[in-house]
Amino acid sequence: MSDTSISAPPATAKGGRGFWRNPALLLLPATLFLAVIYVLPLIDLGRVSMTGEPWWAHFARVFSVPLYWESLIRTMKIALTVACLCAVFGYPTALLIQRSRGIMQVLIATTVILPYFIAILIRTYAWMVLLGRNGPINKFAIWLGIYDQPLALLFNRGTVLLGMTAVLMPLMVLTIYSSLSRLDPSLTRAALASGAGPLAVFWRVLLPLTLPGIGAGFLLVFVSALGFFITPTLLGGPADQMFAMHITQQADSITGEGFLQALAVVLLLITLGVVAVAGRMMGFEFIWGGGKLSDTTEAPTKTRNRAAGQGRRSLGMMVADLIGWPLLRLLGRMPAAVGAWTVRGIGVLIICTLILPILVVIVISFSEASYLTFPPPGWSLKWYEKFFSDSNWMTAFWNSLGIAALSATIAVTLGASAAMGIVRSEIRYKSALMLLLVSPMIVPPVVLGLSLYSLFLQMGLVGTYFGLAAAHAIGGIPIVVVIVAASLQAVDRKLEQGAAVHGASPLTVFRTVTLPAIAPGLAAAVFFAFLHSFDELVLSLFLSSPRMKTLPLMLWADINYQLNPVLAVVSTLEVLLVVGGIILARPVLSRSRGGH
Amino acid sequence: MLERKQVKGLVSALAVMAVFAGPVHAESTEVIMQDPGGGYGEALRKVMYDPFTAETGITVVTVQEARSGPRIKAQVEAGKTEWDLTFIFDQETKLLGDCCLADIDYSKMSEEAQKTLAVMPDNLKRQKGVALQVIGVGLVYNKDVYSGDAKPASWADFWDVEKFPGQRCLPAWPRFVMEAALMADGVTKDQLYPLDMERALKKIEEIKPHVSKWWTTSAQPPQLLLDGEADMCMAYTGSTSKLALEGAPIEVEWNQGFVYYDFFSIPKDAPNYDNAMKLLSWRLEPARAAELTSNFPVALPSSVVFEAADPAISIYWANNPANVSRAIEWSPDYWGAQAANGTMTNEEYGQEQLNALLAK
Repeated sequence: MSDTSISAPPATAKGGRGFWRNPALLLLPATLFLAVIYVLPLIDLGRVSMTGEPWWAHFARVFSVPLYWESLIRTMKIALTVACLCAVFGYPTALLIQRSRGIMQVLIATTVILPYFIAILIRTYAWMVLLGRNGPINKFAIWLGIYDQPLALLFNRGTVLLGMTAVLMPLMVLTIYSSLSRLDPSLTRAALASGAGPLAVFWRVLLPLTLPGIGAGFLLVFVSALGFFITPTLLGGPADQMFAMHITQQADSITGEGFLQALAVVLLLITLGVVAVAGRMMGFEFIWGGGKLSDTTEAPTKTRNRAAGQGRRSLGMMVADLIGWPLLRLLGRMPAAVGAWTVRGIGVLIICTLILPILVVIVISFSEASYLTFPPPGWSLKWYEKFFSDSNWMTAFWNSLGIAALSATIAVTLGASAAMGIVRSEIRYKSALMLLLVSPMIVPPVVLGLSLYSLFLQMGLVGTYFGLAAAHAIGGIPIVVVIVAASLQAVDRKLEQGAAVHGASPLTVFRTVTLPAIAPGLAAAVFFAFLHSFDELVLSLFLSSPRMKTLPLMLWADINYQLNPVLAVVSTLEVLLVVGGIILARPVLSRSRGGH
Repeated sequence: MLERKQVKGLVSALAVMAVFAGPVHAESTEVIMQDPGGGYGEALRKVMYDPFTAETGITVVTVQEARSGPRIKAQVEAGKTEWDLTFIFDQETKLLGDCCLADIDYSKMSEEAQKTLAVMPDNLKRQKGVALQVIGVGLVYNKDVYSGDAKPASWADFWDVEKFPGQRCLPAWPRFVMEAALMADGVTKDQLYPLDMERALKKIEEIKPHVSKWWTTSAQPPQLLLDGEADMCMAYTGSTSKLALEGAPIEVEWNQGFVYYDFFSIPKDAPNYDNAMKLLSWRLEPARAAELTSNFPVALPSSVVFEAADPAISIYWANNPANVSRAIEWSPDYWGAQAANGTMTNEEYGQEQLNALLAK
């Protein structure tokens, strides 16, 4: 930090107060917060994992008992399959969004974005409803006469893959879409005008230029899938155990201490390893969605990397041509409209997969039956009555609301000031700091929850409002930093400088110039940080107490004990909350999209 | 001056933290009780907790958790006990007794509760726990699918998919499942322990393709049977016999079933020890215990309670002599003992082996 004070711009300094004017100081609160509540527990996790005799005994067990290393391999396979499925189906969907216009575009984009903000727990539950014995898919197939006895569609590998792909698809589509929308449309037009067919344009122009976007989406999906816990637990059978599930299982064993932490450390190291390799290849910006930082000290190395990347890409191009052209010639024999129809077909399929489960859940919440069946035998509002009159559900609802509000406050205060610090200061290691700030996005929640549990026990934070809010804020900060940093970068610095020149104090400049300009971004950040906490389940599973139940925890308990339409009511209310939020945030979203 | 400002900021930040973080232990008008959830949880609320709160003014906070042992250990070792009253396994009263459980002060029990305790065997009223519920695990099947002569009556029948075609469901635990597998393989009741785990696993592999769901919570098997996802299950007799009493097409077979006890214990440094004792005493009073079982057929292992209960219901009790004589004597001591490799209990070792088999 002594470096910081030296390089601080003495611009408007009066006497010794220049130090306090350095925007780099704004990074301090968030960094301290994350150091204490995020980095420290992870280090302690590593320490406990090495308490075996000898120190690597627990790790030896992970890699010598087939149950665990086979599950590790299975986890990698599932994550890889899901990432591939997301890429193959996500690309056409992103293309469809980009190509459609007007109200169609808004509609399609909404159906993709909406599920992204609905809790994973609820979307997984929707699949359980859809695929259940009395669910719409079985009913429909029987009605069509494909088979006459309901099939057991749940609890197998196929459902796990389907559920995970559906859950992670929006992430992929949005990443690819942002890379598509940054593309200069005149390039494709030029290629078409020069006589290239649509397929050739796709192969030689569109695909190579959006490859980094696909890569980023692929990695984000892969890394998230590695730590998945909720979806495989609810949709899988015993043969689909993923690695994170062993961690929660071992947490139920009396002699698991040490070994449990070793499992978590292995999962964490693999995740970080994948991210490190990917980061070296394509820059760590993929984690927060592309926005490059004006990092003066590291600029030269970056250009070099980019140059090297160019070389590699042309080699890749050669290989692609070698394999691609014969294939393309074959495809070229098909009618010209096939390509467009493929895109439309896959796009519509994906949109149905994303939105259908949610619609079914909304319909079932008005069902009269006390078990899950579709279509409902009759209509009633009794499950809404039950929800609003049950004191347990209502307490949980208010708890969630309170915790989410507190958590959003923490995340936005710390995150927004850190974003200011990142964008406005001239310090070294900016990329490293940014990486620290956004890294909670990639740490598997199971690992984070486990590491926090012992810290929280010692500090007496288990089951407290503040404790849960702070834990949720760990994941909220990256969201805020990314959104606010993006809107700050869009602010014209000349306006700020102009105000400063005319004698406005930094605070006044911020209040009158910067704040109004980033207000929409800030509002979006508040909303998303709030939603992040409101939906959080995995950390809460570790950190809640008997007296402190949140809505997702109640949902989780009920899904495991009995599936009833009250769950559908909660889901419907959450969808309403998200839709309301998106409508409120739409001016912001459209403005930020207009910025491209 | 700047420093003072900084310090002031820090102090107020800490003060804010303290306000939010401060535990709300002060008032002792509540007791925190582990809860099994489902129909049993509802019966407990109605018969036990609500009247208890009305009489004593002590609120019963319930927390749904299937298994509390490991959490108790973590909490007590960190010096932050959250629960006042929990139910744990027989073997856990011994494994966790010294480190993590408080002594039960039997002198504080009410007169009525003393009557219940007086006729209970000493083994069920330990210093670290009282056996408050007898649990049965048996073969439960759908009467509509298996009727007439073709009724399954033993684990050998459960494993016989030719004679009794249909989907099965089993718990995803080594306990009970391994014993059942060995009996299906021809091992007699008195030869079971110590278990031949390898032989058991081989037998489990045989039935695996016919198991539609390896369940983990007690509410699942009745649901699976009602939905038709399974036709024959190894299940808790409590929730399934409740359904049978209500007229569902479900029958409970006690032959080769398992009977064991859930012990109620108070973790060390429980926040509301006195209230936990009051609730424990409340639950032991014979009239109330009998009323609970007429709402949900899980019994208290005392002849006083058995005599006070409705015979139409007590035919389903796990400690009904007629049922006990057909069931096997399950050994919690075996499952709590150290496994051959010395680093874990037999139960944990068996779980690992079973998980590996199921994952194949």
